[in-house]
Amino acid sequence: MSEPTGTVAISPQTKADETAGTCHPARRRKTLVWAARIATLVVVIGGWQLLTSAKIVDRFFWGQPSGIAAQLNDWVRHGTAYGSIWLQIWITFKEAVLGFVFGVTAGVIAGVLLGQFRFFAEVLSPYIKIANAIPRIVLGSLFTVALGLGIAAKVSLAAVLVFFVVFFNAFQGVREVDRNLLSNARVLGAPRRAITRHVVLPSALTWIIASLHVAFGLAIIGAIVGEFLGAQKGLGLVIATAQNNFNPDGVFAAMFIIAVLALTAEGLIGLLERRLLSWRPPSHAEAAAV
Amino acid sequence: MASTFAGRRRAAHGAREGADAAVRAAQAEAARIEAAQIELSGVTKRFVTPSGSMFTALRDVDLTIGPGKFCAVVGPTGCGKSTTLTMVAGLDRPSAGAVRVGGRAVSGITPGISFMFQVDALLPWKTVLGNVALGPVFRGVPRKQAQAAAKEWVRRVGLAGFEDHHPHQLSGGMRKRVSLAAALINEPSILLMDEPFGALDVQTKAIMSNELLGLWEQTRPSVIFVTHDLEEAIALADQVVVMTAGPGTVKAVFDIDLPRPRGAVQEIRFEPRFLELHHQIWASLREEVEAAYARTVPETRGGHR
Repeated sequence: MSEPTGTVAISPQTKADETAGTCHPARRRKTLVWAARIATLVVVIGGWQLLTSAKIVDRFFWGQPSGIAAQLNDWVRHGTAYGSIWLQIWITFKEAVLGFVFGVTAGVIAGVLLGQFRFFAEVLSPYIKIANAIPRIVLGSLFTVALGLGIAAKVSLAAVLVFFVVFFNAFQGVREVDRNLLSNARVLGAPRRAITRHVVLPSALTWIIASLHVAFGLAIIGAIVGEFLGAQKGLGLVIATAQNNFNPDGVFAAMFIIAVLALTAEGLIGLLERRLLSWRPPSHAEAAAV
Repeated sequence: MASTFAGRRRAAHGAREGADAAVRAAQAEAARIEAAQIELSGVTKRFVTPSGSMFTALRDVDLTIGPGKFCAVVGPTGCGKSTTLTMVAGLDRPSAGAVRVGGRAVSGITPGISFMFQVDALLPWKTVLGNVALGPVFRGVPRKQAQAAAKEWVRRVGLAGFEDHHPHQLSGGMRKRVSLAAALINEPSILLMDEPFGALDVQTKAIMSNELLGLWEQTRPSVIFVTHDLEEAIALADQVVVMTAGPGTVKAVFDIDLPRPRGAVQEIRFEPRFLELHHQIWASLREEVEAAYARTVPETRGGHR
């Protein structure tokens, strides 16, 4: 995942295409797909292993799958230079989750408020655009200086990255609410609060949830970069150390762990999505879309 | 109608207040009917178009709809029929003139009103029951009571057993039934309908029209029913209003003296009196439809030139 410098709202539809809808593809097809997937993995990892063993690619720079496995094994058995590997994972995970929670909360609140009150939206919109254009990852340096080497700097960076994605989607979601639904609620005598609760929020939820998938990835990036910039513990620090020791296997091994973390979180968000958006009609989009 | 109203009150307040509640229900009934007269006088509505010019949608509309009357509005496309409805509902203000409901000038959302939109305004994330219960919930009725009332209305529109379905799981006709229940559960004194059955196929439309008539005859709110379909208008209404091509104004009002209850709308259209009325009204409407059409044709030709 790369750091976007300019964030745009992610349409919920694209997300729906990705997650929803398993029709009933023929069993044979499914087997075939899985076989091809495993073959792809074998070719890529095996090719990498072979090329590095044959010294066509230098394993000093590009690492080697067996070396990565050995590194992981070593971390699990003997820990890292900063304590057990589980502690590092836990620290990074905690930073990402806290940053995610703060960022999402602030983003949803700000998005829903600005979406509902046109005046504030008009006043703030140029500043929001500017803030969005700034490469926010650089704020990490500020936070590290201001908040020190502890967890606070990383959580802040993760929260800032998450905030904008969620904010834009929440804002857009609130504005996209069907005018008919609003008129209908008003005619039925709904007070403003009830309209927000029964009409605006559920409608914006599709958009907000679509942004959460990207948001968690950004939270992890924020945590790792924060640790890179200065930390006493965490996977980012482990990566920085591996880099300084010319240990590409260590970098890859840490990357692998982070990927597992991100996938787990993605799965949990997917569960949440299915729960909250169970009312949506099943889409017939291809489930295997990447 | 009065009996169900009183019945619900009784359930809420306990049997000992039964007689009392019946009196109150009767009073409410009286108030409801009194409040239901709709008057538009000299109503003009102008919009600023995106290009900045003024567009007059309605001009000097004078129209009175008696309490408990079913009024159908027909007219060519773009004659401001829907605009009239939004102004009666209080969703929009007239540029000139006055809209009065029950003798009171409309400001803000008109109380006691229900609106059925052209596209159904059901919340896709709520079940059938949740959608129908919205009216009471918005008015602050306790959840349990609201759900009980909703259940009763879902049954009345013939959707018992579908309470837990979501709108996307229903057919177009079923969604219209849900909209109808959601509109009627508030026991409105006025029901505004903007081509509610426009998107339905002919058979479903006929069935829905019959259901609407049946429900309306039980509760008798004043209705303004906007439609393109003259047969539908005559079959349903007490009064058919023909509007001119835009800027829309009232061209003629025809009283429909077909006896009530009307019975099936599919059959009434073969009665001689129906045909006679249809003939008369169509003569009036045709000029406007042709005028509206003539206005679109030279424009397209101009575009080619």
